Amino acid sequence: MSVAEILWVEKYRPRSLDEIVNQTEVVMRLKQLVKERNMPHLLFSGPPGTGKTTAAHALAHDLYGENYRQYMLELNASDERGINVIREKVKEFARSRAPEGVPFKIVLLDEADNMTGDAQQALRRLMELYSGSTRFILVANYPSKIIDPIQSRCAFLRFVPLKKDDIVERLRFISEAEGVKYEYEALDAIYEISEGDMRKAINVLQAAASLGKITVDAVFRVVGMARPREVRDMIKLALSGKFMEARELARRLMIDYGLSGEDIVKQIHREIFSQELNIPEEYRVLIADYVGEIHYRLVEGSDDDIQLSALIAWLSLLGKRVS
Amino acid sequence: MSERRLPWVIKYRPRRVEEVVGQDQAKKALREWLEEWLKGRVPSKRVALLYGPPGVGKTSLVEALARELNMEVLELNASDYRRRSDIERTVAVAAKKRPLFRRGLIILMDEVDGLDPKADEGGIEALMNVVKETLNPIIMTANDPWREHLRDLREYSLMVEFRELTNTQIIALLQRICESERLKCDKEALAYIAERSMGDARAAVNDLQTIAEGYREVTLDLARTIVKGREKTLNIWRTLSGVFYAKQAWMAKRAVTQSEEDYETLIAWLNDNIPKKYGDPQDLYRAYESLARATIFLNRSKAGEWGLLSYVFDLIGPGVAFARVSGKILEARYGFPERIRLMSQLKARRELREKLAEHLARRLLTSKRTVKNEVIPVLTVIFRNETDPTMAARLALGYRLDKDMIEYLAGPRTNDVLKAVEKIRKAKPEEIEHKKAKEEKTRKKESKGLDRYI
Repeated sequence: MSVAEILWVEKYRPRSLDEIVNQTEVVMRLKQLVKERNMPHLLFSGPPGTGKTTAAHALAHDLYGENYRQYMLELNASDERGINVIREKVKEFARSRAPEGVPFKIVLLDEADNMTGDAQQALRRLMELYSGSTRFILVANYPSKIIDPIQSRCAFLRFVPLKKDDIVERLRFISEAEGVKYEYEALDAIYEISEGDMRKAINVLQAAASLGKITVDAVFRVVGMARPREVRDMIKLALSGKFMEARELARRLMIDYGLSGEDIVKQIHREIFSQELNIPEEYRVLIADYVGEIHYRLVEGSDDDIQLSALIAWLSLLGKRVS
Repeated sequence: MSERRLPWVIKYRPRRVEEVVGQDQAKKALREWLEEWLKGRVPSKRVALLYGPPGVGKTSLVEALARELNMEVLELNASDYRRRSDIERTVAVAAKKRPLFRRGLIILMDEVDGLDPKADEGGIEALMNVVKETLNPIIMTANDPWREHLRDLREYSLMVEFRELTNTQIIALLQRICESERLKCDKEALAYIAERSMGDARAAVNDLQTIAEGYREVTLDLARTIVKGREKTLNIWRTLSGVFYAKQAWMAKRAVTQSEEDYETLIAWLNDNIPKKYGDPQDLYRAYESLARATIFLNRSKAGEWGLLSYVFDLIGPGVAFARVSGKILEARYGFPERIRLMSQLKARRELREKLAEHLARRLLTSKRTVKNEVIPVLTVIFRNETDPTMAARLALGYRLDKDMIEYLAGPRTNDVLKAVEKIRKAKPEEIEHKKAKEEKTRKKESKGLDRYI
């Protein structure tokens, strides 16, 4: 056992296409490209955690060998979504000639469905101009958000949702390789929580393992701990008219957990429809409506603390009406 | 000095108690307290703290009462005598003195809120000692008695409130002066001066004299031209009162536009004081919604549309003031905004989170956002678990997390994780070094490759 450890999602990620056990159809087509040492622009689509990014890296690995990352520009559009990234980074990289011994370079644009419209238009031009020396792999959860002209320039590869057996089998494999004890029911529970997302499943597995044996109880504890209870407490306090206490909790969430106002609003949104909140059904909709408004304001860049205060004050008011 | 050049605020300073405008409650309270002393009894509170906005008659009343009761006044300006040694040399000595010619001695200390708890170290403590043992009545004045460093003093003081003067009271005062100076004064002009003085008689009398000396008559036009230039700024306490107690919308708007604080500071103060003043949920929600909308307009202004700033003031002033539909207002003291402390903590945490996300995103082949929303929560569980910090320590080594990052993830368990990291380091140093070297090598290769083509 090595002393330093890395997250199991990284440790057990397939490096080569041969190691990918599911997504058979996609893998078959990708292997064909490796064999021909040529590829069109590619668009990978499918739900989160189904192996899209992994497959893109595995493809590059099989084309270029261990040091494949030197022939690849990796960008994540959810972090850098504007047109400037395309104009500067991508253009600079794309216009340079392909290095010797390599037919083309690869630009990997992850979460490409987060790109702005402008950025996509600029990208479309680059794809035409430099296709001789550079190929693009676009990865997206929602391909419909990619503009048509780009879609029509790409070969479309659909990643299917992972089946329960795929995930549970992988979790079992990792647990045994790591020598951790586990209950089968716990692996089932992880699958349910992960909603078919392998990355999420493996992360939960590792966190549960850190608590000792992987049991159903450990799994739920992990999920509970990762989603702070304080959000629910905060809503309850607000609904019972305790504005100051509720706001104090909101502030603690921001400081102790480093959550942004937006994170908190999203978590509030998840709690609204929970049966643990004892409020008339029509109020849930009213709350959702205002939470959505606050969410929008925060996205626009408004002040976290004040918008949350307004939201808490609104919940206090609703709480009073209910009682 | 000729009679005419004497400032009117001195010339017309009240001689008798009944000439002091308004303040009936304060007059009664202070008189009873002083009479107690004169009867040879020491009241339970040996200090009277007169508080209220400037120019409402605090010092004048003390002087008028002293004259009527035949008492001597020893006036000490607290802004001159501040440090321990100063206090001991002046106030402490006076506190034990017997009056020479009159029935009693009043020690009057002005502007005690001007004492600086840091710069004038020991001053407050020295004052407290005097206060507990003085044989003569001590009267202090302050604009803002709620300042933190006056807390102990307040407990030993008879608190006497002075209210802002009404426009009618100020107009009546100005009119008396006009008659006595044989000046032709328009009623509207006096009303205008009174209005601009915001309840401060001293300011109003000064304004009147400025106009009269230049023009020998006081008209509305003159008043408008001359008084307008003297925009008065409001300190934060008066700004807050101006908002929370506004009777009309323009009053609330004036309170925020004339404040000496900028709009961002004002928003912070309102944010922490709204729940102190508004108890009704309806009022609270309306006030916060107004403040929240103000921050939206502020953002739009900052994007370059500075003309929109006016709406910010509308929403934080009148918007907050008239959010109150219940008619109820809580009698709570204003508090300092928590937020300033909060913001700096938040900023540090957020930067660290960003750094951590960036650090991990490349290794995990995913976005910073996914790291923040999915990976960091899981790491938090691993780092804060109570059974065993080993996995956390190994991960810290695997990702070369620095101390701040470990602290971010481990929170209260930080020490356990750091200890575990040290233990592993000591046990297998060569393996870690080897890994480090290998990582370094791949990183160099990759970046070299990219340098060539970018």
